[in-house]
Amino acid sequence: MKRFPPLLLLAGPGILFILVTLILPLAAIFMFSFWRTESYELYADWNLDNYRTLMREPAYLVFLLRSGLGALATSLICLIYAWPVAYFIARHGGRYRLLLVLLLAAPFFTGVILRIAALQGILGPGGLINMALGILGFQPIAALMYTQTAATIGHVYLFIPFMVTAIYLSLVNFNFDLLETAKVNGAGPLRAFIEVTWPLNWIGTAIGIVLVFIPCLASAVTPRFLGGPRATSFGMSLGQQFGETGTWALGSAMGVVLFLASLAVLALMGLTVNLKRSGFTGMGTR
Amino acid sequence: MTSVGDRAEAWRRRAMSLLLWLLYIFLYAPILYVIYASFSVDIVWPFPPSFTTDAYAELFDNALYADALANSLLIGLGSGAVSTLLATAGVIGVLRYPSRHRGLILIAFLAPLFVAELLIGISSLAFNARLLGLPGNLFSAIAANAVEGTAFAFLIILAQLVRYDWQMDDAAMVFGAAPVRCFWEVTLPTIWPSLLGAFLISFILAFNNLEISFYNLGAIPTLPSVAWGSLRFGLGPELFALAALTNGLVFVLFAVMYVLMRTGIVRFGYRGG
Repeated sequence: MKRFPPLLLLAGPGILFILVTLILPLAAIFMFSFWRTESYELYADWNLDNYRTLMREPAYLVFLLRSGLGALATSLICLIYAWPVAYFIARHGGRYRLLLVLLLAAPFFTGVILRIAALQGILGPGGLINMALGILGFQPIAALMYTQTAATIGHVYLFIPFMVTAIYLSLVNFNFDLLETAKVNGAGPLRAFIEVTWPLNWIGTAIGIVLVFIPCLASAVTPRFLGGPRATSFGMSLGQQFGETGTWALGSAMGVVLFLASLAVLALMGLTVNLKRSGFTGMGTR
Repeated sequence: MTSVGDRAEAWRRRAMSLLLWLLYIFLYAPILYVIYASFSVDIVWPFPPSFTTDAYAELFDNALYADALANSLLIGLGSGAVSTLLATAGVIGVLRYPSRHRGLILIAFLAPLFVAELLIGISSLAFNARLLGLPGNLFSAIAANAVEGTAFAFLIILAQLVRYDWQMDDAAMVFGAAPVRCFWEVTLPTIWPSLLGAFLISFILAFNNLEISFYNLGAIPTLPSVAWGSLRFGLGPELFALAALTNGLVFVLFAVMYVLMRTGIVRFGYRGG
């Protein structure tokens, strides 16, 4: 009997699982996006009407742009804030490193909806912040109540742990002795950071950016509860096609657009990664 | 010159730790708010404070919450177990048996990270309902949640195991240990913290998932879907009470972990001095 290759035995089940539960469903909505829905039923007459609708109705473009800009703002804020935090944990966390990182993940034990509701309770009218301002005799901050800003704060709140963790995981495997070498050779801290630390940890950082950008682009719950009436996002509209309105074919087309947009961002970030210059040594060289 | 550099270094370090603590405050303020509001008489206008434990009594009286909690736990445990198992096998395969398909295998395991939950939810709903003719059920919800869980578990385990020294396993094999025995007696005792971390993360993700579970379950309640439903008529204080209890448990676990780390009984993979 031919011996089964161990790699296939070990990695095969996982790959098969992802094929069946991720790739096939995505292929299914790609197919449905060329179908037609009529009174909640899908009919297989192949056409491009769904995509035509998406291009003709300006509302969908507005939703997509709004979600895209929101995701961009969130990613940038998370990026700038997460770097020093991740750096501190990786370099100075000592034996408590894992605990410090897990503390960032612990809020996930509370569901997204409850945390968003609590943020609403803190930011909203009659919430903690505006209440305190009122008692102190100041005007409430209108920007925090049901605006795009509030939605962005919500997104940063939800996704910044991903960014910190991605950068942290990269920094944990980074050899900090290189900074000593840079110092010995006359580089100041800023120059050592720009020329050594940043490029050598760019892969982790890029993964962090993608991990924040993509869920943010598809976000539906947060803008609904924090964003107010003029914050309808692409994700919200997409969810409605599969819920209230039951237009599955159009929803599938929106899903395809969302997937392609995510893929474009991923490809863009991928282009910035240069394996040779990022210190990638081919993982666990034996 | 050196002392100036050292002082600047110390200052940077303090500034970074300040940012870390501010982040913790930002992340935990809503959690503390949930706990505070769970004891409040009126959760919509909880200021000024007035306390009651009605929400907790209500929580234990209402069968809907018990149902939702059981379903969420099932999805969390099922998805966590599937994810950790598939990811562990995948990581060991990729690291131990170099192959020219390595890049492809990595891409396959990590691909779900780059697909939004909403998209996983609606696509598996569309696939199951329209192509397979399956109504929403717990198994499809577990499977759909495990897609994302597997990717996260894979990433976590990979990040830790990249530094694992496989020569220990080779040594065990040389002395005649079968691969399975070698895994149980050599590999597992060393790598278990990262497996536990991977399980916990995939458990939490599935336990609290709204968008994947919601589209896969139809009318079967989970905690997030009950919360989602009740938002329309104002959030039930019972959910705040349940979240407060969960957080209490998590904080106790972290306190235990801190004590273990402090005393050095369990090092959770930390090898430094």
